[in-house]
Amino acid sequence: MAIRSRRPRAKAALLPVLLTGALALAACSNGGSSAPASQGGGTAAKTLVIDTSFNLKTADPGRTYEPTGLIVGKAAYDTLLTFDGSDVTKPVPSLADSYELSADGKTLTLKLHQGATFADGSPVTADDVVFSLDRVRDMKGTPSFLLDGVKVEKTDETTITLTSKTANPALPYILPNPALGIINSKLAKEHGATADPGDKAEQYLNSASVGSGPYTIESVNISSQVVLKANTKYWGPKKPVYDKVVLRNVESATQKLNVARGDSQVALDLSGDQVKGLPGNLQVNKTPSANVVFLLANRNSAVSETTSNPKFAEAVRKGIDYTGLLELAGEGSVQAPGVIPSMILGALPADQGAKRDVEGAKAALKESGVTDPKVKLEYPSELTLNGLSLQGIAERIQANLKEVGITVELAPSPVTTALDNYRNGKEELGLWWWGPDYPDPSDYLVFLPGKTVGLRAGWKAGADKEIEAAGDKAAAAIGDDARKQAYVDVQTKLNASSPFIPLIQPSQNIVTAASVTGLEFHPVWTVDVADLGTK
Amino acid sequence: MSPTSVPSKNSEAAPKRESAGAAPRRGGGPSPLVRFLVRRVLTALLLAVGITLVTFVLTNLVPGDPVAANLGQRALGDPAIVAQWKAEHGLDKPLPQQYLLHLQGVLQGDLGTSQQSHRPVLDDLAEAVPATLELAGTAILISLVAGVAFGVIAALRRDRLSDHVLRVLSLVGISVPTFWLALTTFYIFFYRLQITPGSGRIDPGMSAPPHVTGLYTVDSALAGQWDVFASAVGHLATPALVLALYTIGLLTRFTRSAVLEVMGQDYVRAARAKGLPGRVILFRYVLRSALVPIITVAGLAFGSLLSGTVLVEAIFAWPGVGQYAFKSATTLDLPAVMGVGLVIGAVYLVINLIVDVLYGVIDPRVRLT
Repeated sequence: MAIRSRRPRAKAALLPVLLTGALALAACSNGGSSAPASQGGGTAAKTLVIDTSFNLKTADPGRTYEPTGLIVGKAAYDTLLTFDGSDVTKPVPSLADSYELSADGKTLTLKLHQGATFADGSPVTADDVVFSLDRVRDMKGTPSFLLDGVKVEKTDETTITLTSKTANPALPYILPNPALGIINSKLAKEHGATADPGDKAEQYLNSASVGSGPYTIESVNISSQVVLKANTKYWGPKKPVYDKVVLRNVESATQKLNVARGDSQVALDLSGDQVKGLPGNLQVNKTPSANVVFLLANRNSAVSETTSNPKFAEAVRKGIDYTGLLELAGEGSVQAPGVIPSMILGALPADQGAKRDVEGAKAALKESGVTDPKVKLEYPSELTLNGLSLQGIAERIQANLKEVGITVELAPSPVTTALDNYRNGKEELGLWWWGPDYPDPSDYLVFLPGKTVGLRAGWKAGADKEIEAAGDKAAAAIGDDARKQAYVDVQTKLNASSPFIPLIQPSQNIVTAASVTGLEFHPVWTVDVADLGTK
Repeated sequence: MSPTSVPSKNSEAAPKRESAGAAPRRGGGPSPLVRFLVRRVLTALLLAVGITLVTFVLTNLVPGDPVAANLGQRALGDPAIVAQWKAEHGLDKPLPQQYLLHLQGVLQGDLGTSQQSHRPVLDDLAEAVPATLELAGTAILISLVAGVAFGVIAALRRDRLSDHVLRVLSLVGISVPTFWLALTTFYIFFYRLQITPGSGRIDPGMSAPPHVTGLYTVDSALAGQWDVFASAVGHLATPALVLALYTIGLLTRFTRSAVLEVMGQDYVRAARAKGLPGRVILFRYVLRSALVPIITVAGLAFGSLLSGTVLVEAIFAWPGVGQYAFKSATTLDLPAVMGVGLVIGAVYLVINLIVDVLYGVIDPRVRLT
């Protein structure tokens, strides 16, 4: 026996009514499309929306070292020198009109531009420059190593001198890093800024900016979004085009839908697969990224008797199908002939990249004396690099080496666990990448014996005196030609006998709406918001 | 026999009635409800301390080095930077001392400083929790209204077409993975049909309403910013509905079964035999009794909604606790992970307390002693 409702049909229809109602409610906010030049109560006149997967910890330039932070820093803070577009082979003036490196490479003299102003209208002075750089170096934040051992002095009101203990020809290439953005020292000091580890200005700098860049910071939420607004008093020649720029933390699958629908105008993190089949009215920029994916075979015999054998590393180098890896990585990716990426001075020519030679690999393996080798390959499982998963690359390497006679056991783990083993030099085989701290070949000397990455492969100082001597020579070389030759020599030697096997530079795929102009991928700050315009 | 000299069934029952929640107390002592609440709050506090210990131990058991996870590759090579970072975050002290300092901080309302944002975890959570509360609160509201209504309809129309349709729909709601539903909903309604707004809590060109509660729908209404209100409601509707579908399915099934069980009871038959109208029987006799299991499920569902929004928040770029927890976990931001654990644990405790109290309110047979 049932209790009958008076209007059963009406109630049964409740579900579709509810669903429709909710969707209608959603639709009532005009579908959410934000045209670049939208008008309305709470909306800005001209807004640019950039979607990216956030890697952001702070907006304080002295502590910034993550990709999203560098985008924000580049927009809000000018540096002494910068780069023109994506060309990182030649630093160009910004707050400094000119620079000169002494013959011994130890002293860099910069002439400041007169008339540059902060967003509050006050002039950028030599004292601001000295305080800003001292603060970065002495706060002991993540980017402080950039100026390690560099003394910053004001020679006069328009001249700054940077002095290093040893030759430092990389300094002009380091200064454009947004972490070295110049801050309004008076304003920053009022909010707790000091040039020592006791600095207390970070919270303030996460809610406001004290720079002279084309945009200022309106709000920062490191988990969701950063809002920049145009610096109406910008002193430079390129005035900001957009009134407001919103950087949103959006995962890549949603980025694709947002930019295709017009909800955002720029998507920074799409993989090669994701940019296929996008509407024709979108612009797709595919450029080799500056990240070099490499394989390391640990030289520490306590970690592995197998991989510490140099002939085993040679077998691995010859056994990998680099063309297959490029197919996997997608259009725009290139093979990495050496550890220095293609856009940086000293990169090896593309034709010097390793090529697959299965018979040669088998011969090297035989020469090594290792029989039926079984090795463990460790890599971070959940991370994607420029939209590319390392899992696919690891599987391909496993299949390639099986043909040579090497059994590879895949050992993916969460990045925090994998990093621990990698940084402590405990991995037998490791699959990682290196992105430039600054676009100068000296940043890649870390791959030498006894240096940061060298030690992670169990390659201790003194392990290869010839390469180390070549590294010392490269570090001291002055002048583009001499430096280029020296770094080519270092990489040729690394390819011959190091534990590192450079694999690929995956493509950085950036998608923009048809209305957006001026986009160029930059290996340090990904994209310069100030370069973006509208048709 | 005098009723005062020989105990009767009625005289035995009297003290029990007095001990029930709503009955007045002789002698002016605290009522059973107050005693019950005090006891539950004290238990909850003890549990909260237990939660701090469990979250601390589990967080610190995770393999991986927070220093390596938080510092850049080059900074990690500088012992001075590493030492300063450890000192800043209290990682240079032994674990027991770290826990005591953590507990001391929690008691003073200080959950520590996030290693990622370098802000107090409490400040980070103050931004993230309202976003998730708005999303999960709306989802549970939709779930309660729709789930109970559908469950009642299904029970009243047992084995008819509408019952079968609702059974299939509720099973779909329970079975379909939420992340898949979120992705397909976003794809169909946002991208293909272009009728719903995109990511985030409001349109990107808009500024957030002045902060009062942190709930954009409420704050924008309070500020009279109706364009922002419409945007906030629009952005909220789809993810809330996606999140609600699982609990709608769950509540529909539980409500149907509870209502059917009560409808088979003698007192419902008696009420029907007396000729009481169907609506009166449904609301006064059936639903009231059936509400106990429904509230149990709703309480658990709300807790799981709060802690289970990670994927929905990621797909809809909703800046809530789920996104914060995910980012904190993947970067080994230990204070933030412990803060999230503590907040979610506290929410569960509060919900359990509310559910227990509601039992007593709904069903007088449930003793609060």
